[in-house]
Amino acid sequence: MSQNMREGSITSDRIKVTTRHGNSFKDKLYLPAIYDGVKVTFKHLFKNLNNINEIDTMRYPEEQPQDISSRYRGLHRLTHRADDSIACVACFMCSTACPAKCIFIEATTREDGKDEKMPASFFIDTLECVFCGYCVEACPCDAIRMDTGIFALTGNKREDFVMNKEQLLSYKGAFGEECSCARD
Amino acid sequence: MSEMIDIIVDSQTYKVENGSLLIDLLIREKIKVPYFCYHESLGADGNCRMCMVEIEGQKRPQIACDTLVKPGMEIRSTGANIEKVRTNILELELINHPVDCPICDQAGECSLQDFYMDYGLHNTKVTIAQKVKHNKHIDLGSNVMLDQERCVLCARCTRFTDQITHTHELGIIGRGDEARVSTMPGRKLDNPYAMNVVDLCPVGALTSKDFRFTQRVWFLKTANSVCHGCAKGCNIYIDHNIMKYKDDVIYRFRPRRNDAVNGFFMCDEGRLSYKELQENRLISPLLNGEEIDEKEAIVKAKNLIEKCKNEITIIIDANLYTEEIEAILAFAKELGARVCSPKEIYMDESFQDDLLRCANRAANAQTIERLGIDTNEPNPSNLIINFNHPQDFKATSLISFLTHNRPCSGLSLPIAAYSENEGTLTNIDGITQKCEKAVYKNKPIPTILEYLQKVRA
Repeated sequence: MSQNMREGSITSDRIKVTTRHGNSFKDKLYLPAIYDGVKVTFKHLFKNLNNINEIDTMRYPEEQPQDISSRYRGLHRLTHRADDSIACVACFMCSTACPAKCIFIEATTREDGKDEKMPASFFIDTLECVFCGYCVEACPCDAIRMDTGIFALTGNKREDFVMNKEQLLSYKGAFGEECSCARD
Repeated sequence: MSEMIDIIVDSQTYKVENGSLLIDLLIREKIKVPYFCYHESLGADGNCRMCMVEIEGQKRPQIACDTLVKPGMEIRSTGANIEKVRTNILELELINHPVDCPICDQAGECSLQDFYMDYGLHNTKVTIAQKVKHNKHIDLGSNVMLDQERCVLCARCTRFTDQITHTHELGIIGRGDEARVSTMPGRKLDNPYAMNVVDLCPVGALTSKDFRFTQRVWFLKTANSVCHGCAKGCNIYIDHNIMKYKDDVIYRFRPRRNDAVNGFFMCDEGRLSYKELQENRLISPLLNGEEIDEKEAIVKAKNLIEKCKNEITIIIDANLYTEEIEAILAFAKELGARVCSPKEIYMDESFQDDLLRCANRAANAQTIERLGIDTNEPNPSNLIINFNHPQDFKATSLISFLTHNRPCSGLSLPIAAYSENEGTLTNIDGITQKCEKAVYKNKPIPTILEYLQKVRA
């Protein structure tokens, strides 16, 4: 039982009492800790000066990353079916699963005879989006994906970041698999 | 028949009327029993076979909906045996189901989905390609869409048109795989209560064309209210929702069970009256058609009332809540004003039928009568204050408190509609019922009570 705990406070096996650090003379002097930190900085400085081509940082944006994996959650896109029609059936699963509530769908009757329902409008507010990928998980039609490999969006005003249906449909998958895999 | 007996369900004893249906007891006591075809208003049909229970002394499981209780019965509604039976029957129901839940409006309030989560969770033995194909999205008329593939052939809809409306439009035609719900060739579903089949349908076979694809049902919030379509006062659910960055919108009315008033149903006109309620609302005060500030409008109203004191006629809409009518009466007493509520405009003999619809189209007409308010046309007077009465009145000056926009001279002030307010109504049979506040607008419109307070201040 620690001295720090007051009498009558809750005691249980689950409470772990740790001793407070930073009370020793060495800690209070600060200088050894500063020395430890600066040592790391100078180690890297001299290492990089010796071999300037092997620096771990990148000259972004002139140089673009080449190591984005197929599992990377980039900007969303809406997929097409094999016959090039929209795969989304506006079931609202993505917007239901979305923790940021940033997917805005309006459903309408589908007139092309391929299905009954489709989105009249489909907006994703990428400023509100937290890129968690739940929408992709939730989609029963493989209609929404985050495999564009696009990791940076630019715009001049907030409205530029709200992606509409046409924009989302225009993005291509960066890792093969162009069409929705949900149906033939 | 009214003798009460004891029966045992899941080793608990219940008192029940001898000879009544077992399923009624199970539903009443909230003992979980799945069923498609049984409905309290339509009686037992016994075709879906979902409501199987084990009865002590009987070899095989029996359907609860067609079993009459007898003294000394011992029922088991749970257990491995009965659950296996239910799973197998559910699998049978799902053989030809297209599993198109993503595009089905029933998803979220579908018995098939619920029972699958409770008893199914089996892997299907039939692929989509092997399933029997029927017609999808057939417009049956009266705002009802039929999807024959989703149907479980419970015959609730056909029994509704046979037993309740006696119009016999729907029937099940074909046998075996070919069996499907349909109308007679060339005939449409056409009766004033047709949309009740949408509520009756336990699956997505019958859906509302009006509600089609507007919202997923799990987004909707529900408030208990009473229909204002006529003096019958059918109990309803108001299903509404605020989409992100939007305002509160009502998406549908559904009938709410009340055996003393409307049973399980409501008429289509009442059901669709939510549209009228939301369209063309008066939002800001108008003076002879020109928008003015609310404060300015109240000052104008006060001045008018002050100027015309003792020559005021107050007209009350018979659709207002009792609380509002009483507050207006108190206000009228302070001013020494005459009060009337002309009732001629509410009478519509063509609307009446012998099921639910009532010729008097004013939801709170009974209260107007109880409070002894004059129901004749108003005498000519200097100032008429109209509280949302649908008639147009002529007077030297006119103050109108209106829910909806309409061409009106004088001063018009917007008031909250009944969905944005709470209160009580007394229906034609003298039953007083409460309406909850359902809609919370982003910019609330003041209620009559709030206005009366402001005008008095």
